[in-house]
Formats: sequence, C-alpha cells, structure tokens
Amino acid sequence: MSICVLCDLWPPYWPRRNARLHPHRLSQSTYTAGIKVTLSSSLQLLQEVKMAEEDIQAKLQNYRTAPFDARFPNSNQTRNCWSNYLDFYRCQKALDAKGVDTGPCDWYKRVFTSICPISWVQKWNDQREEGNFPGKI
Amino acid sequence: MLGMLRKQLKGHPALIPLLFFIGGGAAMSMGYLARLALRNPDVCWDKTNNPEPWNKMDPTHQYKFYAINMDYSKLKKQGPDF
Repeated sequence: MSICVLCDLWPPYWPRRNARLHPHRLSQSTYTAGIKVTLSSSLQLLQEVKMAEEDIQAKLQNYRTAPFDARFPNSNQTRNCWSNYLDFYRCQKALDAKGVDTGPCDWYKRVFTSICPISWVQKWNDQREEGNFPGKI
Repeated sequence: MLGMLRKQLKGHPALIPLLFFIGGGAAMSMGYLARLALRNPDVCWDKTNNPEPWNKMDPTHQYKFYAINMDYSKLKKQGPDF
C-alpha cells in the first residue's frame, strides 16, 4: 500500500506497458496520444513558489546555525561570511525595488550573523554608511 | 639538453627511476596548481563577465576529492531567490 492512491489502481502486470501514462508521470509535460499535457505543470510552478515561501519560514523558525554550504567546503569560511553579507543587502535592495516583503532575506542575515566576526560586520556597516563599502550591492 | 640527458643516462642507467619520480612529482604539483587555477570557485579570471564564480555553482557540486560524511546529492540551495 503506497501513499500514491492512483498507483494502487495500476494494473499489476509486469512489464508495465504505457509507462508514459503512469500517474506519477502525467503531471510533467509528456506527449500522450499526441497532445502535450502542460496544464498541471503551471499549477506545479505556483505550488512550488508557495512551498518555497513556506519553506523559508520553516527554515527561519528551525534555524540553529549556518548549514553546510557546498560552495565553501574548506575550513576557511571568510568567503562564506562575505557572500552572505553581500547577499543579504542585495536581496533587500532587490525585493525593495520590486515592492515585495523582504522577510525571506532574513535567512542571509542569520547566516552571516552566525559565521562572521562581529568586528567585520561592524566595520562593513560603517563602510556602507560612509559609502566606502568595497563590495557591489 | 635532452641529448646531454640521454648521454648521462646511458652512463648511469640507475638514474632513470629518479627521473620518473621527480618528473611525476613535478607533474602532480603543476596539475594541482592548474586545478586550483581553473576549477576553484574562489578564483576569478573574468572580472567583468563572471565576477563571483561561487554564485554560479550547483548546490550539489563537490569540489573536494573525497567527502567523508557529507552526502552532496541531498544538498539544496539555501537562501531565497531574489
């Protein structure tokens, strides 16, 4: 008994003919009888965007510390700190320009607060205020 | 220069393994430097078109040769898109 109810109704013979018509594959765009099925793919996109937002809220609530980032696998995490600091302010700037809530950007703020030395963050904040900040925001 | 080398090796053939080991060591170190220069995402060759190469990486991309406890196939992009 699987979680996919439709799969249980799948004819139990082997090998499966018409595998293109398998319930799990109908939602991707495939050619079934020559007609491209794309209706459910746009619904899927909408669902994915909503899920992404809920994911971020869930991630922010369950946050303990900065997770492993494959871009910076070694013990020198300087670039990780720099990248997240830049990403936070870029995200704020981009979402402000779009007029959207900048809540999701908090993920970057939590990460750089976890890994950056406080003196660096203070120095960069001062540089940003003075207009001396060396990074591109 | 190769001619001189050949003459010396004919006189002292026991030096041939030395060539292999030193040549191999030099090749390995140059190879590591080349890998660092070309594959390391921290290295930026093209400041105008690709100023931050680490942002263009796939979240499951493994740079290290051997990962002991980390399952790279399960990693996902962490922060939100903007």
